[in-house]
Amino acid sequence: MPVLEVSRISMAFGGVHVLSEVSLSVTAGGVTGLIGPNGAGKTTLFNVVSGLLEPRSGQVMIDGHDVTGAGPAARARRGVARTYQRLELFTSLSVRDNIRVAGEIRNTWERRGRIDVATETDRTIEMVGLGDVAEREVSTLPTARARVVEVARALMIQPKVLLLDEPASGQTEEETAAFGQLLRKLVDERGLAICLVEHDVNLVMGSCELIYVLDYGEIIASGPPEQVRRDPTVVNAYLGAP
Amino acid sequence: MHLFLEYTILGLVTGAVYGIAASGLVLTYTTSGIFNFAQGAIAMLAAFTYWQFRYGWNWPAPLALFLVIVVLAPLLGAVLYGGIMRGLRETADVTKIVVTIGVMLGLIALAQWIWNPTVARTDDLFFGNAAKFQVLGVYVTDHEAIALGCGVLIAVGIRFLFTSTRTGVAMRAVVDNRALLEFNGGRPERLAAFSWAIGGALAALAGILITPISGGTLDVHVLTLLVLDSIAAAMFGRLRSIWRTFAGALVLGLAGNYVLAYFPTSWSWASDFRIALPMIVLFIVLWVLPQDRLRGTTLLRTRERFTVPTMGSAVTWGVILVLVVLALEQIMGTNDMSALSIGMTYAIIALSLTLLTGYAGEINLAPVSFGAIATIIVFHLGLSGTGLNQRITPLGLLLGVVVTALVGGLIALPALRLRGLYLALATLAFGVFVSDMIIADISPHVLPIFHVHFSIFTNGTLDIPPPKLGPIDLRSTKTFLTTAVCIFVLVGIGLVALRRSSYGRRLTAMKDSPAAAATLGQNLVKLKLSVFMLSAAIAGLGGVLLSAASVSVSNTTFIIFVSLALVMLTVVGGIGNVAGALIGGILAGTGFEALTTTFQNLSLGHGGGGLWNVMANLALVTPALIGVSLGRSPSGAVPDIVANYRPLWGVKPVLAAGVMAETVAYLLVLTKVMGNWWLALATAIIALALPVVGKAVRPDAFRSVPVAVPNARGQPTPVVAVGSAKAVEGGANARP
Repeated sequence: MPVLEVSRISMAFGGVHVLSEVSLSVTAGGVTGLIGPNGAGKTTLFNVVSGLLEPRSGQVMIDGHDVTGAGPAARARRGVARTYQRLELFTSLSVRDNIRVAGEIRNTWERRGRIDVATETDRTIEMVGLGDVAEREVSTLPTARARVVEVARALMIQPKVLLLDEPASGQTEEETAAFGQLLRKLVDERGLAICLVEHDVNLVMGSCELIYVLDYGEIIASGPPEQVRRDPTVVNAYLGAP
Repeated sequence: MHLFLEYTILGLVTGAVYGIAASGLVLTYTTSGIFNFAQGAIAMLAAFTYWQFRYGWNWPAPLALFLVIVVLAPLLGAVLYGGIMRGLRETADVTKIVVTIGVMLGLIALAQWIWNPTVARTDDLFFGNAAKFQVLGVYVTDHEAIALGCGVLIAVGIRFLFTSTRTGVAMRAVVDNRALLEFNGGRPERLAAFSWAIGGALAALAGILITPISGGTLDVHVLTLLVLDSIAAAMFGRLRSIWRTFAGALVLGLAGNYVLAYFPTSWSWASDFRIALPMIVLFIVLWVLPQDRLRGTTLLRTRERFTVPTMGSAVTWGVILVLVVLALEQIMGTNDMSALSIGMTYAIIALSLTLLTGYAGEINLAPVSFGAIATIIVFHLGLSGTGLNQRITPLGLLLGVVVTALVGGLIALPALRLRGLYLALATLAFGVFVSDMIIADISPHVLPIFHVHFSIFTNGTLDIPPPKLGPIDLRSTKTFLTTAVCIFVLVGIGLVALRRSSYGRRLTAMKDSPAAAATLGQNLVKLKLSVFMLSAAIAGLGGVLLSAASVSVSNTTFIIFVSLALVMLTVVGGIGNVAGALIGGILAGTGFEALTTTFQNLSLGHGGGGLWNVMANLALVTPALIGVSLGRSPSGAVPDIVANYRPLWGVKPVLAAGVMAETVAYLLVLTKVMGNWWLALATAIIALALPVVGKAVRPDAFRSVPVAVPNARGQPTPVVAVGSAKAVEGGANARP
C-alpha cells in the first residue's frame, strides 16, 4: 500500500504552470526516484507534499489520510520528513544539537511513543557516519556532509516517508556509494518509504525500484530503472544518449 | 450633511498626506527590503527645516519648499541608504529594524538639539488661512486642495513608475531576486538609493503638508508619530500595492475625522481614541492579513552569531555581578544607587528581549509598554497599606506579571502567523496605543451598570510604592538595588538554563529555519505564543520594579520612544547574551541619562551653553549613532568584548595584576582617600590597558582570537562555503 499518494497536483506561480496534474505514489520498503532537469518542478512538488506550498488543485494522501489542507507540522505528524536542496539547517546549533532537537520536537507531538532522545541521537549519528563532526558547529561543515545532517535530522522524527532533495550532490563517489547503502538499510530495516530527487544517475538507477520522470511540470515517464533508462522521451528530455 | 461634507473633505486631505508618507514606506521597502521606521522622523526634520527657511529666515516659500523637498530630503534619503542601509544585507530582521530606529532616535535628538523644544513654532497654511474657496457650501483652503492634489499626483505617479517604466519594474525585482537582476544588468544598489531618495522627498512633503493641518505647532515627537501612523496605510497595501496603500490611507483619514465629528464630546476618551485610531487599525489589518507562506531562509545567512555560556560560567558571572554591585553600594550615594536601580530594572526588561529576540528571533518594540500594563494592574489591585507604609504585595506582583503575559499573548496572536516584521509592527501599535489611550486615560469614568468610578491612569501620575517580598522590604534604596540585581541575575541564569534546555533548542531551531522546524512537526504559532507570553511576563516584572524604582510614573515613563531606545541599546549590547541586556538596560536607564545630566549641570555651572551643552546634546545623539553602527557589528558589543578579553586567561599574571589594581583603587575610594570619579577613571584605564599589556607580555596568547570566537565580526569563515554552494545551485536552477 502506498504511504504517500499524490494525485493530480497542479501548481502555478503567477501565470506559469509549474506542475500540471502530477500523480505519483511512494510505497513502504522501497526507494522511489523522481528525476528530471533543473526547473522541472521536483522541489516544488516536495514543497507541496510537505505542506510549505498550497497546490492550485489535487490531493495529497499520507498513510491513508487526506492532508491536502493541512499545514507542514500536521503532515510531519502524519509521518512525512524531508531534506532541503538549499540547506535549511539550524545554523546556530552543533551537528549533534541539530539532530537532537528534531527528536525533542517529535517528543512534543508524539506523546505515546516518546523516544529517548539522547540514545536515539547517538544511534542516528553513528548510523549516518557523522561521529567525527558531531560536536562541530553545523555551519562549518562542507555542503556534502551538511546534507547528511539533514537526513539524520529527518530520521529523528521516525517518519514513514522520507523526501530527499538531492541528498548526494557534492559528495565524492565513495560517499555516494556509502549513502546508497544507507538508503538500502533504511528501507530494508525500517520499512521506510523514500522518495529521492537526485541528479546522480548511478545512485538513482542503483537504489530505486520505481522512477518517475518530471519535465516541465509533467510526469513524462515512470517505471523501473531499466525501462526509464531506455525510454526515448526521457533520453531526449533529460538523460541524453547513453 | 454640511458637517458630514466638511469632515469628509478633512478626512480626504489627511488621508492624502498619510498616503504620501505611506507610499514612501512601500517604495523603500520594496527596493531595499528595509522597513524605514525613520520615515516619520525624516518628515519631522523636513517640517522643522522648512519652518527654519520659511519663517526663521523668511525665505520665499517656493525656494524653501524646493530646497527641502527636492534637494535636502532626497539627499538625506540617499545618504542614509548609501551610508547605512546598504551595509545591512545578510543581517537579521531585528538588526534592520533597530538600525532604522536608531536613525529615527538620532534625527529626533538632532532636531531637539537644533530647535530648542521649549520655544513654540508654528507653520501657517500655504497662502494663509484666508486663501480658500467653496465646494458645495463647504470651505476648502488652498492648502487642503494642494495636499489632496499632491496625493492624487503621487498615487498615479508611483503607480505609473512601478508598472510602466523600466526603472520601476526593476525596482520591484530587486527584493524578489537580486542575483537575477544583477545578472541581467540591473543595478540594485543604484535603484535602492534612488528609491530612498524619493522616499525621503515623500516623507518631507508629508511632513510639511500635515503640520499646518494638524494645528500648525511643530513638536518633535508628535510629528514623528503622526507620520508613523501611515504605517497602517502601508499595511493595507501589504507593503506592495500603491493603490491599496492610498485606499487604506483614505480610510484612515476619514475614520479619524468622523470620530472627531460624531463621537459625543462627553466621552473623555474620544480624542485619545482618534489619536490611537491608526494604530488600532494597523492591529486589525494585521489580524486579517492572510498567513505568510513559510519560505526557506533563502540564500542569505545572517551574520549574527551568539555563543551559549555553560551553566557554570553563567552562575559565576552572576555571582561576580552581585558582588560588584554590593561593593559599589558601599561607596555610592543614595541618588547614584537609585539611578543604578533604574538601570537595573531596565536591564530586567531587556532580558525579555534576550529571550524573545535573541533566542527566538521574534521582535517586540514595546517592552516598556508591557511594563506599563503590569504597573497599572499592580497599582489598582496589588497594593496594601497606606501612606508611607504602602507596599506592593508579592501576590499583586504575581498578578501583574500574569496579566501582562496574557495581554502579551493577545497582542501577539494575530501577528504570529506572519513574518517577524509584522509582529514588530503589532507591538509598536500596542506601544503607541498604550501611551495614547491607556496612559492618557486620566479623567475618571463611571462604569455603566456597575456605577463604579474609575480611571486607568489617575490624574496622569501613579505613585508606586516599593514591593515587600516576604521578609524583604524594598523601602531602602540599598535593599532595592541589591534585590534588583539579584532578580536580574536569577532571571538571567534562568534564561541561560532555558536556552540550554530542549525548549531553548526548539526556539533556536525556529529562529534559524522556521520551514525546517515546521516540517519536523513543530507548531510554530504555539511555540511563538509561549515564548512571547514568557517574555511579556519578564517585561512586566521589570516594569513594576522600574515603576517602583522611579517612585512615581507618568506618561513620559512609558512613551514608545523609551521602549525603542531600550530595544536599540540592547541589540547594541548584544541581543543574544544576558550580558547584552545588562549593557542595554544600564545604558538606557542610567548611562546616557547620567551623562546628559552631568553635562547639563556643568553647562549651567559655566553660565549655560558652551562646550558642555554641546557635550550634553552629543550624549543624546550618541545612542542613536551607536545603534546605526550595528550594520558593522550586528552581533552587538558582547562578542567583541569577549573576543578582546578572553585571551587574558592565558596571561594570568597580567589578569591578577589588573584585579589587584582595581581592588586597590576601590579600597582607596572606600576609605575616602579618593572620590568616586577616580574609581570610574581608574576602572576605565585598567579595562583599556589589560588587553594591551596582555598582548605585550604574551603576544602568542592573543593570536588565537579568531579561533576563540569565529564569526564575531561576520568574517568569512566556512559558513560561506555552505552559502556560496547554495548560490551556485540557485543559479544552476534556471533552465538552460
